[in-house]
Amino acid sequence: MTGVGTARDTDREPSSALIVLIAERGDREAFARLFDYFAPRVKSYLMRLGVAPETAEELAQETLLTVWRRAQVFDPTRAAASTWIFTIARNLRIDLFRRDRRTPPVDDPLGFAPSPAAPDEALCVLEDGERIGLAIAALPKEQAEVIALAFFADKTHSEIAGEIGLPLGTVKSRLRLALARLRAVLAETPS
Amino acid sequence: MTNPKHHPDESLLFDYGSGSLARCARLVVSGHLAVCATCRRAVADVEEVGGALLNTLPAAVLRPDALDLALARIERPPPRVTLAPTPRSDWIAAPPEALEAARTRRRWGAPGVWVAPITRGPGKSRSYLLGVAAGMSMPRHTHRGSEMVCVLTGAYRDGDTIHGPGDFACSDETVEHQPHITGDRECVCLVAAENALVPRDWVGRLFQPIVGI
Repeated sequence: MTGVGTARDTDREPSSALIVLIAERGDREAFARLFDYFAPRVKSYLMRLGVAPETAEELAQETLLTVWRRAQVFDPTRAAASTWIFTIARNLRIDLFRRDRRTPPVDDPLGFAPSPAAPDEALCVLEDGERIGLAIAALPKEQAEVIALAFFADKTHSEIAGEIGLPLGTVKSRLRLALARLRAVLAETPS
Repeated sequence: MTNPKHHPDESLLFDYGSGSLARCARLVVSGHLAVCATCRRAVADVEEVGGALLNTLPAAVLRPDALDLALARIERPPPRVTLAPTPRSDWIAAPPEALEAARTRRRWGAPGVWVAPITRGPGKSRSYLLGVAAGMSMPRHTHRGSEMVCVLTGAYRDGDTIHGPGDFACSDETVEHQPHITGDRECVCLVAAENALVPRDWVGRLFQPIVGI
């Protein structure tokens, strides 16, 4: 195991650092790494929302292209890379689809089985994926359900209330509690 | 500028962050967010969780040449961005679509009233700018479904409450009201409605087909 101490620690470089490299010097290597990690997840996210696979692929391309073009406006002290990329993908979908709603195929009703990171996907190993995956697994089922409906089934509070037949106030408090729990996990310093 | 006093409900901010808020409503909430750091923080909290959830998703299979395609695309010059419309110095920071509508689609609605449609759909929902001259009242009306309003300039009084620049209001079919423009200047609002207004008097019924709200 030579070179462990000397090799550049790129495998653990958080994705926000990659975006900074893109902003500072148009680093194509950094872009490729970011693409490999995020494009498949953005596609996955969009397909859960009912976007057809080809369109989801195109929007994933568009999302990462936007990251490249707008890397200068990304502020790593204010948001995580995943947060920024999530908002880009979310906005592109809203702009493109103009709310033509489709029912997403439901194979995994909760919508987000935590995925074990493969070795070549370890880019974000220190980021939030694993911890939040565990945190979701630890949420009470009724909170996990509303989170999945809100983020991956395109449902507003009142639509969720209608769908699961509960008062709006109950949906609100479930989402509020779930959000607080998940944010508490995100706020913990990774060991 | 003073901070807005009337804010969207936490559920609307959540729906904005998660991406489930429909386009027209989204536009009006964004008008408020532009001037309200507190609500921006609430949205950012939701987006942070959205980003973390993105990390938990299994990777979908991309086409084999996806990365090559992306690398080729970043070499191309970016598309020419259309120049953002000039902000209005007398308004709070308004979304570009709203500025564009004010510039190009403004039409007479009634004496002292103008309307500029911004977005339509899905269904019957629409968003528009509504300008009402100082001293005027809106026709007494109620709503089918919800109506969201963000004041861009001027102020109106609704019952005992005054809504000024940046203030957000949401009413539904349980609310019947007749907002009145206060102060000595025109009031311009960004409005999203799920359905057409339901006028409560003959003046309103007379004007509605013309105004198109």
